[in-house]
Amino acid sequence: MTTVLDLQDVHLRLNGNAGAVDILRGISLAVTAGESLALIGPSGSGKSSLLMVMAGLERATSGRVSALGQDLTRLDEDALARFRRGNMGVVFQSFHLIPTLTALENVAVPLEIAGEADAFARARTELGRVGLGARAGHYPSQLSGGEQQRVALARASVSRPKLLLADEPTGNLDAANGAAIMDLLFDLRDAHGATLVMVTHAPDLAARCDRVLKLADGLLA
Amino acid sequence: MMWALAWRLARRELRGGLAGFRVLILCLALGVGAIAAVGLLRAAIQGGLADQGGVLLGGDAQMHFTYRFASDDEKAWMGEHALRVSEIVDFRSLAVAGEDPALTQVKAVDDAWPLIGAVGLQAGTLAQAFAPQGGMPGGVMEKILAERLGLKVGDTFKLGNQTFRLGAVLLREPDSATAGFSLGPRTLVRTADLAQSGLIAPGTLYETDYRLILPAGADLDALQKAAETAFRDKGMTWSDKRNAARGVEKFVDRLGSFLILIGLAGLAVGGVGVASAVRAFMAARVATIATLKVLGAQGALVLRVYLIQIAVICAIGVGLGLVLGAGGLIAGAPLLVKLMPFPVAIGLYPAPLVQAAFYGMVSGLLFALWPLAQAVRQRVTSLYRGTAERVWPKPAHLVWMGALLALFVGGAVWFSGNASLALGTLGGVFAALAVLAAAGLGVKHLARAAARLGFVTGRPALRWALAAMGGPRSEVQAVILSLGLGLSVLAVVGQIDANFRAAIARDLPAKAPSFFFMDIQDAQLAPFDALMTGNPAVTQVQTAPMLRGILTQINGRKARDVVGDHWVVTGDRGITFSDTPPEGTTVTDGAWWPKDYKGPAQISFAATEAAEMHLNLGDQVIVNILGRDIAATITSFRKVDFSGAGMGFIMAINPAAVAGAPHSSIATVYAAPEAEADILRQASDTFPNITAIAMKEAIGRAVEALSAIATATVLAAGAVLVTGLVVLVGGAAAGVPARMREAAVLRVLGATRGRVLASFALRSALMGAAAGAVAMGAGALGGWATLRLVMDLPYRFEMWSALSVVLGGMLATLAAGVVFAWAPLSARPAAVLRQAE
Ligand SMILES: Nc1ncnc2c1ncn2[C@@H]1O[C@H](COP(=O)(O)OP(=O)(O)O)[C@@H](O)[C@H]1O
Ligand SMILES: [Mg+2]
Repeated sequence: MTTVLDLQDVHLRLNGNAGAVDILRGISLAVTAGESLALIGPSGSGKSSLLMVMAGLERATSGRVSALGQDLTRLDEDALARFRRGNMGVVFQSFHLIPTLTALENVAVPLEIAGEADAFARARTELGRVGLGARAGHYPSQLSGGEQQRVALARASVSRPKLLLADEPTGNLDAANGAAIMDLLFDLRDAHGATLVMVTHAPDLAARCDRVLKLADGLLA
Repeated sequence: MMWALAWRLARRELRGGLAGFRVLILCLALGVGAIAAVGLLRAAIQGGLADQGGVLLGGDAQMHFTYRFASDDEKAWMGEHALRVSEIVDFRSLAVAGEDPALTQVKAVDDAWPLIGAVGLQAGTLAQAFAPQGGMPGGVMEKILAERLGLKVGDTFKLGNQTFRLGAVLLREPDSATAGFSLGPRTLVRTADLAQSGLIAPGTLYETDYRLILPAGADLDALQKAAETAFRDKGMTWSDKRNAARGVEKFVDRLGSFLILIGLAGLAVGGVGVASAVRAFMAARVATIATLKVLGAQGALVLRVYLIQIAVICAIGVGLGLVLGAGGLIAGAPLLVKLMPFPVAIGLYPAPLVQAAFYGMVSGLLFALWPLAQAVRQRVTSLYRGTAERVWPKPAHLVWMGALLALFVGGAVWFSGNASLALGTLGGVFAALAVLAAAGLGVKHLARAAARLGFVTGRPALRWALAAMGGPRSEVQAVILSLGLGLSVLAVVGQIDANFRAAIARDLPAKAPSFFFMDIQDAQLAPFDALMTGNPAVTQVQTAPMLRGILTQINGRKARDVVGDHWVVTGDRGITFSDTPPEGTTVTDGAWWPKDYKGPAQISFAATEAAEMHLNLGDQVIVNILGRDIAATITSFRKVDFSGAGMGFIMAINPAAVAGAPHSSIATVYAAPEAEADILRQASDTFPNITAIAMKEAIGRAVEALSAIATATVLAAGAVLVTGLVVLVGGAAAGVPARMREAAVLRVLGATRGRVLASFALRSALMGAAAGAVAMGAGALGGWATLRLVMDLPYRFEMWSALSVVLGGMLATLAAGVVFAWAPLSARPAAVLRQAE
């Protein structure tokens, strides 16, 4: 069983307005290939921060973070960006689509960045897979929240990443939409055999994962 | 009640500090500052001229004659109406010290001079300086002239045949501005001492001024009318302290119009900045507005809450602007005083400050009202979603905006005192805005279409840039509008400036003669010609007898009534006479009079000007030459080129008609440049009374004067440019949050910072280029309108100036875009994304 994510004694200290805050205070965990992991915990416990660190979007203050055998703490910003191509897909609670691009263009961005020639054809297929083939030309502002999150899912999975990271992907959605997104997320993971790390508040969603870890005050409980 | 609540809510929001209002305040401050500075400058120029009107003129009023002294009648009239009179003779001559001649503008005065003010000498009094020593009269010279001739006080120099002793060095003449741009540095002597010089003979080219001190309370208007009725047809020109700056009047006029124009354009650019800053301010408040509405606040309350805030912010911006404008002008005062060829009285005039404040407040409120009125009408859901539909403000609000607009336009017309210019400028700005708005829409659609084209596949940075320009929340229209207007103003000024300078260069004859000789007496003609043609360095000599005369009547009617203010009839013009058409003359219509013709007087008229004045062969005209009316018939037209520096006479007359009239000849001499100094020395040695004008020197002075105008326009435009840049920077700053998010997301998806930067830079450059291209067209149109319609100068499209505006616009936008990409690129994506949650 290969380890795709390996964190050793990760600390994160950020400088807020009221001085330095210790957000992660020594996290060690390993995620094996194909596994699905749920991170739960009260608001402000550091779940999002931990996910950001895993994605290389936040730099750990100390400790070791390695993903797919690559030590992320040794990479600079651009190397991290290059590493994410094809390796990681990230989904956020508030979607983070690029407002100036259409749904199709948003999905095509990762492939374009990777220099894929058939970016748009593949993006179109992926958009169809999340059920939005008919909305390809719409801008994010013309889509509902659930639809935007489906676009975000398509964008995260279009490049077939080995690692899917999702931060409360249903947090901004109603129950029905949330459930649909969840189904999609697991479908995508199953279809591509990706490893999934998901932050969630909802116990029933967490229960769908292979393993559940609880975070409290920057520490794994 | 509602106002009180609105005030409380507004105060609470303002409590957070002014950070969010920086761009708005800066735009207002710069716009208001530019207007205040320009207004104060205008007031300073007017003030300077009015203050010193009497001093400048050297009297309460002045009667001016060309090539003659006042007649007994005229002197009697002066004696009757004035308390004191002073007579001044002004002419060009050569001052010769030893071997060295130098051109000088001689002012010969009587004992009454100066009637007002005092002459500034390096040492001693004027009487001491003029006092004869050893039978040799004294003269006073400007320092630069004395230095050029190597003279020290006590040394001697000659004017014509008369030797003078340098009695003192002249620092300041009280009445120097009246001479306009003179051709040489000044020499002051007493008129009586010139009796033996041979310089002020009848027929030589001199001017006389009679300065009058009038009784207190004299009616200048009535006196001017009386004097003009009696003497204008005999060549008298009247001026008085109301319009003292005779030589610079047109200049001041043009400059004044130009300053109005610049001020209004600056206001428009600042206004666009205010509008976009207010819009950005409102956009940031949309969520708050929605929440207020959710909590039960009706539209009127919301409107008031923000109107109060905007009013407070505007007041701060306006106050800052006034300080900025007034401070800037006062700081620049020493430079301005040096730059202006006439006195300026720089000070804190209240009127321009009040006007600038008025413009600032009205435009701030006007531009704020539209987005406000829109926001309060929008449904809460669309406010929250940030997808503002286009709704029309309520009719009552539209009426308010109309009233503010009317107030603004009315104020502009009233304050500028020139309705057609103010309305023309505002109309031009409005048209430019409409064109720019249309262009913005066009560019947006173009970008959207281009983003789908084949050539962008595989170039994600370019595609994102085009998509951002063509998609929703596109900045294209805002950038093209704000930057485009600033660039348009700059382009207009660039066109004007380049045309000014080109006009100077163009008006310089391609092949100017080396010298222009004046006051050649008949007896000197043959020896002069021999001397010049005998010199192998001289390539061409042309001489012609010259008289000056005024065309007073055409076919029995006053000439001015027939042709209005055509330049030919506004003053005295050169007239030559010749038995046969002078060499190189082309008679275009009619026939030259026969040799030795003795019949009724005949005139040959310059063809182009005759056509402009609708003159026909056979027309009867009266020309007043040296006070004598000569009736003549136009019998031919001929081609005359006034553009070069060669000879051009508007009228030629048959010699018998002016037989006996005192006259002299003028000559143009073309020679190799290296021989010029020798020729000048020879000529002045042999013919002391002849005045030579070295054309290069004369042209140099003209260029200097015109360059000062051009520089002033560029300076004024600088204020507008700075305003435009602030608007640009403000726009770029306002776009930072959106770019922060975009950069963060792109980096999550694997884009390197270089690629993100490339995309940001590309869209900036593309938008800047589009704005510049539109501005280029606007500049050409505006430049043409300003030069032709306002300044009465010819216009030609100046390619380099226009291109540099496009390029400058591109670079400025690019620079702003790149500078403001710094924050998005250096921020950690995690932080940005977390903030946006
Ligand atoms: N930039 C920052 N500077 C300082 N503190 C921060 C910053 N970002 C987040 N925090 C704090 O870190 C803690 C963990 O935040 P987060 O990871 O978002 O928690 P969760 O996702 O579990 O709700 C919170 O207390 C939050 O206030
Ligand atoms: Mg979170």
